[in-house]
Amino acid sequence: MTDRLRKALAGVSAAATAFSAQMTDYDALLEAIVTSCSRALDATCTLGLFSADGVTITPVALSSVRPTEDGVLEGLLRQPRTFAQSLVGQLAPGSGSAFVSDIACSDLRAQVNPETYVAIERFGVRGFISITMRVRGEALGVLTVLQHDTTRAPLDDFDREIAAHLANLASFALANARLFRRAQDELAGRLSAEQVAERTRTSELRAVQANAFIDAILENIPAMVFVKDADQLAFVRFNRAGEQLLGIPRNDLIGKTDFDLFPKDEAEFFVAKDRETLRNQRMVDIPEEPIETAGGTRWLHTRKVPILDEHGESRYLLGISHDITDHKRDMVALVHARDAAEAASSELEAFSYSVAHDLRAPLRAIDGFSQALLDELGDELGETGRGYAHRVRSSAQRMGALIDDLLRLSRVTRSPLHRERLDLGELLRTTIAALQRDDPDRRVEIVTAGELVTHGDPRLLAIMFDNLAGNAWKFTSRRAGARIALSSEDRDGERVFSIADNGVGFDMAYVDKLFGVFHRLHADSDFPGTGVGLATVQRVVARHGGRVWARGEVGIGATFSFTLGDTKRT
Amino acid sequence: MSTDRVILLVEDNRDDEELTLRALAKSKITNPVVVVRDGVEALDWMFRRGAYAARPAHQVPQVVLLDLKLPKVDGLEVLRELRANEGTRLTPIVILTSSVEEQDLIRGYGLGANSYIRKPVDFTQFVDAVRQLGLYWLVLNQPIPG
Repeated sequence: MTDRLRKALAGVSAAATAFSAQMTDYDALLEAIVTSCSRALDATCTLGLFSADGVTITPVALSSVRPTEDGVLEGLLRQPRTFAQSLVGQLAPGSGSAFVSDIACSDLRAQVNPETYVAIERFGVRGFISITMRVRGEALGVLTVLQHDTTRAPLDDFDREIAAHLANLASFALANARLFRRAQDELAGRLSAEQVAERTRTSELRAVQANAFIDAILENIPAMVFVKDADQLAFVRFNRAGEQLLGIPRNDLIGKTDFDLFPKDEAEFFVAKDRETLRNQRMVDIPEEPIETAGGTRWLHTRKVPILDEHGESRYLLGISHDITDHKRDMVALVHARDAAEAASSELEAFSYSVAHDLRAPLRAIDGFSQALLDELGDELGETGRGYAHRVRSSAQRMGALIDDLLRLSRVTRSPLHRERLDLGELLRTTIAALQRDDPDRRVEIVTAGELVTHGDPRLLAIMFDNLAGNAWKFTSRRAGARIALSSEDRDGERVFSIADNGVGFDMAYVDKLFGVFHRLHADSDFPGTGVGLATVQRVVARHGGRVWARGEVGIGATFSFTLGDTKRT
Repeated sequence: MSTDRVILLVEDNRDDEELTLRALAKSKITNPVVVVRDGVEALDWMFRRGAYAARPAHQVPQVVLLDLKLPKVDGLEVLRELRANEGTRLTPIVILTSSVEEQDLIRGYGLGANSYIRKPVDFTQFVDAVRQLGLYWLVLNQPIPG
């Protein structure tokens, strides 16, 4: 075997190995084809591939044994051209291969177009082999070997045979690689299609789950929730509370408009509000609107909200309606009750005024003329007569006191509450000082302890202290070492004030009657009183939102405790 | 020219009139007392018109004791008219009433009443109140010049 043959075999073998190695990498195979050919034939080698229509040849790989200095040849070889312009296309379009060993000794100039010849001559191409690569009749590309190296022997038939082998091997490798690539693409396509399907299934599932989630929420909201499409204002969604409110099953609501379901004037109102919401793209609040339902007219408080799409256009209308019928009816009843109470209150006020003025005048006359009787005819009356006159006077005065107490009680109920900062210790001392003026000989120890500054209505609390401290003063009157103590303590987050005395006390069996009007636990001859005082105290405390209670023990004393509600509020 | 320091008592209730006169007497107040029985009469007397057009000019009211609840024109209206008139603008006026309504009290002072006395049921207390009243308005208080 000659060296040349051995070398050629080695080149073809290396090419075959390289081609099969690059079977799965199409682009690497294209490079391997030109590189292998170039090495095996010691010449520049280019590979062009046909376009799908077979007209154009696009160079895809080039391996140059001795690159030209300016790279112009390489540039030219990389330019796409039509098959008709190619060497093989010009020289042997039918057979598919062209071979010129030595251009100088050929009549190539006459066979190709001048541009091609000029280019060949200019770049010093001495000979070439150009072979159309075919597999099962399909032209894949053109493999061209160019000999432009003066040191190499001209291309001969042996080179041509080797080139043909290599082109053949390359053709099959290329066809296989294409098959493989197509199979791979198809596989990849199928996989991605499956993935797409899977993703679609997943996102559909998520959408279904999200829908079910929203549905579950909507279904269980205890207010009517509905959605209308922005164009037709037809219902597209309705929840259970809505069905129940209207008394119409959902299936009879979906797709309907307000005009299908409600009286014309109501439907017109609803639709006008819908349009307003969608037009302004802002929530509309309708505090009260009537709606005809299977169960009669109901009143709704409705909020309408526009739902926008990704372009900011109103797409849906969301409505949320609370049934305020019962609330409204209660409010009406409440207003009636309040009006009635106010009417009763103003009647009471008129009555109180009348009591104050009209009842007291005759009492004044009874008392005054009894005194006149005593003044003018005292001697003639005798002792018994004068005694009767005095009893008439004291009865009139007692009735006057009773009327005054009742008036005070009614004033406590009527007058508005104005809280101010005030010191209950100070209030107690002022109250006691007034009692002391009327009874200068009494000695009573006054003790205060704890935080006694609070917020309350000064006039009402003054009336209350007149009664509480007045009671303590009164019921300690027969006792030596009388003591009245005011204290405060915080109990369960609430400030509790207490006024304690060491007076005659009371039996806890009667504690429930203590705060009732006209209830008295002591005979008037023991301790005078009208029985209105503690009722007044209770009302003052109630006006403050507080509570009052009492503890007592006969012969030991009594303690009245009270709270004043939220003292921060005015 | 000598003047009679007259007390004008505006009172529609005969009992209260009698009791007030008794209380004044008990308090040793000896000024002449003129009694009128409704708001119209009170204003006529003060302005010397109508039935009182012939009232002697030297009868100058030292103090007006004014009930609030009066027939025809009520006490507060009388008060307003007296205060609106230049000649009676400074005349001492004491409201003498049964009313314990705070609103009456506030309105009374608001309209320029000099004092406010609530007629107590207890006649003894009433005499005390009238005595203090007389002491202040008839003895201590200097009459308006003129």
